[in-house]
Amino acid sequence: PSERMRKFKNKGKDAAALRRQRVEVNIELRKAKKDEQILKRRSISFSLRDESLSPGEDKRNEIIQLSLEEILEAVNGSNPELQLQATQATRRMLSRQKDPPINQIIELGIIPRLVEFLCYADNAPLQFEAAWALTNIASGTSDHTKAVVEGGAVPAFISLLSSPHMHISEQSVWALGNIAGDGPLYRDALINCNVIPPLLALVVLPLPHSLLQRGPFTCLLFQVGFLRNITWTLSNLCRNKNPYPPLDAVKKMLPVLICLLKHEDKDIISDSCWAVSYLTDGSNDRIQIVVDTGILPRLVELMASPELIIMTPALRAIGNVVTGTDEQTQAAIDAGVFTVLPCLLRHAKPTIQKEAAWTLSNIAAGPCRQIQQLITCGLLPPLVELLDKGDFKAQKEAVWAVANFTTGGTVEQVVELVQSGVLKPLLNLLLAKDSKTILVILDTISNLFLAAEKLGETERLCLLVEELGGLEKIEALQTHDNNMVYRAALNIIEKYFSGE
Amino acid sequence: MELSDANLQTLTEYLKKTLDPDPAIRRPAEKFLESVEGSQNYPLLLLTLLEKSQENVIKVCASVTFKNYIKRNWRIVGILVEDEPNKICESDRIAIKANIVPLMLSSPEQIQKQLSDAISIIGREDFPQKWPDLLTEMVNRFQSGDFHVINGVLRTAHSLFKRYRHEFKSNELWTEIKLVLDAFALPLTNLFKATIELCSTHATDASALKVLFSSLILIAKLFYSLNFQDLPEFFEDNMETWMTNFHSLLTLDNKLLQTDDEEEAGLLELLKSQICDNAALYAQKYDEEFQPYLPRFVTAIWNLLVTTGQEVKYDLLVSNAIQFLASVCERPHYKHLFEDQNTLTSICEKVIVPNMEFRAADEEAFEDNSEEYIRRDLEGSDIDTRRRAACDLVRGLCKFFEGPVTGIFSGYVNSMLQEYAKNPSVNWKHKDAAIYLVTSLASKAQTQKHGITQANELVNLTEFFVNHIQPDLKSASVNEFPVLKADGIKYIMIFRNHVPKEQLLVSIPLLINHLQAESIVVHTYAAHALERLFTMRGTNNTTLITAAEMAPFVEVLLTNLFKALTLPGSSENEYIMKAIMRSFSLLQESIIPYIPSVITQLTQKLLAVSKNPSKPHFNHYMFESICLSIRITCKANPDAVGNFEEALFMVFTEILQNDVQEFIPYVFQVMSLLLEIHKNEIPSSYMALFPHLLQPVLWERTGNIPPLVRLLQAYLERGANTIASAAADKIPGLLGVFQKLIASKANDHQGFYLLNSIIEHMPPESVDQYRKQIFILLFQRLQNSKTTKFIKSFLVFINLYCIKYGALALQEIFDSIQPKMFGMVLEKIIIPEIQKVSGQVEKKICAVGITKILTECPPMMDTEYTKLWTPLLQALIGLFELPEDDTIPDDEHFIDIEDTPGYQTAFSQLAFAGKKEHDPVGQMVNNPRIHLAQSLHKLSTACPGRVPSMLSTSLNAEALQYLQGYLQAARVTLL
Repeated sequence: PSERMRKFKNKGKDAAALRRQRVEVNIELRKAKKDEQILKRRSISFSLRDESLSPGEDKRNEIIQLSLEEILEAVNGSNPELQLQATQATRRMLSRQKDPPINQIIELGIIPRLVEFLCYADNAPLQFEAAWALTNIASGTSDHTKAVVEGGAVPAFISLLSSPHMHISEQSVWALGNIAGDGPLYRDALINCNVIPPLLALVVLPLPHSLLQRGPFTCLLFQVGFLRNITWTLSNLCRNKNPYPPLDAVKKMLPVLICLLKHEDKDIISDSCWAVSYLTDGSNDRIQIVVDTGILPRLVELMASPELIIMTPALRAIGNVVTGTDEQTQAAIDAGVFTVLPCLLRHAKPTIQKEAAWTLSNIAAGPCRQIQQLITCGLLPPLVELLDKGDFKAQKEAVWAVANFTTGGTVEQVVELVQSGVLKPLLNLLLAKDSKTILVILDTISNLFLAAEKLGETERLCLLVEELGGLEKIEALQTHDNNMVYRAALNIIEKYFSGE
Repeated sequence: MELSDANLQTLTEYLKKTLDPDPAIRRPAEKFLESVEGSQNYPLLLLTLLEKSQENVIKVCASVTFKNYIKRNWRIVGILVEDEPNKICESDRIAIKANIVPLMLSSPEQIQKQLSDAISIIGREDFPQKWPDLLTEMVNRFQSGDFHVINGVLRTAHSLFKRYRHEFKSNELWTEIKLVLDAFALPLTNLFKATIELCSTHATDASALKVLFSSLILIAKLFYSLNFQDLPEFFEDNMETWMTNFHSLLTLDNKLLQTDDEEEAGLLELLKSQICDNAALYAQKYDEEFQPYLPRFVTAIWNLLVTTGQEVKYDLLVSNAIQFLASVCERPHYKHLFEDQNTLTSICEKVIVPNMEFRAADEEAFEDNSEEYIRRDLEGSDIDTRRRAACDLVRGLCKFFEGPVTGIFSGYVNSMLQEYAKNPSVNWKHKDAAIYLVTSLASKAQTQKHGITQANELVNLTEFFVNHIQPDLKSASVNEFPVLKADGIKYIMIFRNHVPKEQLLVSIPLLINHLQAESIVVHTYAAHALERLFTMRGTNNTTLITAAEMAPFVEVLLTNLFKALTLPGSSENEYIMKAIMRSFSLLQESIIPYIPSVITQLTQKLLAVSKNPSKPHFNHYMFESICLSIRITCKANPDAVGNFEEALFMVFTEILQNDVQEFIPYVFQVMSLLLEIHKNEIPSSYMALFPHLLQPVLWERTGNIPPLVRLLQAYLERGANTIASAAADKIPGLLGVFQKLIASKANDHQGFYLLNSIIEHMPPESVDQYRKQIFILLFQRLQNSKTTKFIKSFLVFINLYCIKYGALALQEIFDSIQPKMFGMVLEKIIIPEIQKVSGQVEKKICAVGITKILTECPPMMDTEYTKLWTPLLQALIGLFELPEDDTIPDDEHFIDIEDTPGYQTAFSQLAFAGKKEHDPVGQMVNNPRIHLAQSLHKLSTACPGRVPSMLSTSLNAEALQYLQGYLQAARVTLL
């Protein structure tokens, strides 16, 4: 019978159905916001890089301008001097901040040749210039990246990871990051070419239990900039779904990422947080792998970071974890997520409010003992506040939180919710310009009435709804253009407000 | 149909006939058109006519016919509904899509509108996949420079895109929007800019301006639709262009665009109103991105409000503008825009107060269109009114500035009351505004009561009531200052929960007195207020106002209520009728002395309105009142039922004979009520009607089914023996009804109600010959379409049968249909599904029935059915102990889940005609668990040793534990 009892929980809807995964939006109308995402690709412009890093550069500022024809000729020629000059000129063009001529360079057909240069182990300056140029091509559109991959650059870059020249190896990391960021196809192509071991070998952490051997040039590798690049490339190797990155690859990268999360550089922390957020953005078994590392308390700690670039991905990662099973959600709760969420729900930044409310909504979809913890930890006041005064995107999520709460909570818990003042802002949101939100609110109101019926308090709830201006709003919704909205409104009116 | 002149001619003639006022000519023509609309080329003939016909009336008629044809037929439903084939052939579809846009654009406006609608219907189905070039075709016209054409395109686009405002987000929808944005957003923006430039070059040309402004309105509407789901990247990048221009349009005025009409909004008002909506959309949804522009809009809109007049034509604009301010001032980060004391004062003085004033238009509505006035004022359909918007702004401002706002307004209330006192007959509107302010401000306090802090109240509600409301109502003349009387009565209604009871009691005679007021609004409000007061709850779930407290007023209350129904304009006033119903319900037996007169008046009313029933609520409450009269009287004196029958049957007969469809379901319910009051054998007057109730035509109307089933149940309860002896030939008819109902997924539960009554009440021998047939019918339905609702009802029925005829009889009848059938029913239906049964009585019936199968059915002990004994017992214990299984298979979600069956006819349209839940098991078994224990005990004494061994071998531990609990409670042990 206990098995059957489980089946009956939540009137047949199980918690998994209430939890809302981060929706894979194929279609986006909005502009992508820079601080909400890290870039899939990064190109290297002059401003990004200290020129002196390039040892082959002519430092007397004698920039040799070459035409495309001259470049083509020199690159295809056999004079190493001219090859270097031409490759450098190419790289310079591609490093222009405004409209780098990527297409022309591709059309020139020199990519295979540049890839060849990557293998000229005896000519480090040429290797470097070619790597830089290819990196910038790969940083363009998907088609641009494709051109580099099809030019055969992947194995060459991977072997350059182990180059004795740090700047070349760093350049390769960068290029591979751009390729990995293109999508699951190239990401897995890199993984299949065994990119991970040499990449991880570059990471040397100033930690006592570093898993990795120090290579001959490790002293240089403590440079934070390099480690940032590696972290970013790792994050791109974790990125994207359909399919997810292969499990064994994830298992190889994860311990290193966990260490990187403990680094003190904020960019490194940020990118490794993003990586973890990608890894948790998936099915429950993916989430479990992350939970098993015991990193949740650190992620929760990072959620409270004053740095937006850290707080954002940390919150996303924890938000993803609580889309998982009850046990996984409990792990997040045990890690202290409730102590941090109130601040985030009140955060000045609307996107943070929204993510925090989304996280809360998924916890509220859990069993009533977790809902109880939510209440005990004082999450209702900030939730009600957000519902009342938050940004609209956040209000929408808060509505889901309340809806889930009323679906899974016990009657006593629902009473507590109502007593915390949820009804007024909830009813106000019936004026929202979003049909789905309105429908969810109407469903929530029905849930509240079901609870009130059990307590014999239907009339009091009717009165309350009417006093708070809810009745007139529900009545007005009976003429809403959306069929489901109008039916839900009609249903409530007929059931609770028509008879006497 | 060929595209020939002959066919065009024929079609023209038929179209002409469809305009004929004589139905004898019109209807056949309509039928004809409908009969040929499936033919190829029919739509093309219509399009040819609307383009080329010589007569304008035929053109218009063809365009309307075309639109309706598209509306009915374009959508291909054939995939879902087999017998509705696709009426428009593919080549016609292609031809229509190829021609309709240019045709629409070259047509005169009247026809353009129809074609534009048709395009949007087609677009809803075909756009974008099956009509990929539509957008390009439309956008290309923007360059035409011909604003007649451009407006046609814009109008069509608007009807295509406006659904983005209400549909749920989905990948499909967003893909479409993205496609539209890619093709449309830039040209629309360019058109917007160009149109605005043209407006300034043509600033002195009135007719050009009108066309250009119509375009701007449509462009603003398209902006709203395209920005509704989310903020598109394009519009974010071009926000500067749009918002700057919107802002300057808000502040624009041009004498040439002003209209003389006081009522109808002009182009300028419509445009500004839409811009307010657009700004409000951005403020609500895209606050972060819109923030830089918002303060400018606040200022512009505020200035707009200060400078806009009181005329009705500005109402929509003003209320939209105020709503915008109301939504913005609630947001914490805009608080500073309103914070300044001078700003606040000026908003209160210049925006709120003027819009709360009682205007000439309101006064007109109060006197001449009272129904509309009441709906707006009382029922909250005032969403778009200025007063309402002003109230919302007050509430919004109170969120942060409650103290200052309250201060400003209490000053106003006092000064307005003083003005009134100086010269009431001239200044009564000042008092109206004062009361209105108090009402809107204090209801804020009312809601705060449920929040955290008690609001700083504007006025003491009770004091204001005693000092300013009661005096008006106490005045000698009920007809003086009707608006103030209505205000006062409304005050009582609104604050009924806040004014102390003794004050309410003082008000009651005043309200009763105002039932006599000539003003429809005033006596309607009085009736409504009384009705509301009578429904208030006191302690212990009783009414706040008791029948004893009402004793001194009974006669005058009833007299005035019925007299009010004779006042001009109120002969079918639903508020009064509802107050009558509520008074009866409250006063109970104290109305008995007045019943003879009451019932006469009610039957006269019934007779009068049955000629042409037009007010459903009024009619409903009238029947409720009749039911109450019957119940109250017959509770004290059941013999009085005859008097009611005498008074009502005449009218009822007339209603049935004239087939007054609206009233027939009510009549059946009242008759059920009357029949159930009879304690003895069924009167012959009812038996005479019995055959008529079985006529198939009555059962065709779904609204009749629940009350008719209820009535037949009453017949069976009271007259089963009479039917068996005197009307046995009608039993097949009765079963015919059952058969009809059982065949329908929506009504099968009603069929079971009837069947259960037959089984329960009819003498067994009278239905003997039909029993097997009944089971076969049920099995057929079970095989054809098994639904959860049917299973639940079926389970209740077989268990009731078992109780009534015995477990052995149940087993025998199943096995007589097909050998081993009983075992199959146990295994496939009862055991797996019993957990789904809902309702106390239903569960009890099933528990007692299953107990009988377990303990009084020998084949369960010694045939192959024995293996089912323990699973059945386990299922029964599950029924006792586990939560109900209310899951519904996915494929059943589209069936009417609403009518969940109860054992009783759950249909109770008339609340006061309802009857108590009937428990056919009754006192025979009080506690089904104990009953199970006792029955098992009896069984175990009959065959010692068997029962414990069956239990120990296969009953699961938890169930066994529960069972031991029952045995202990019953103080028995199993042998």
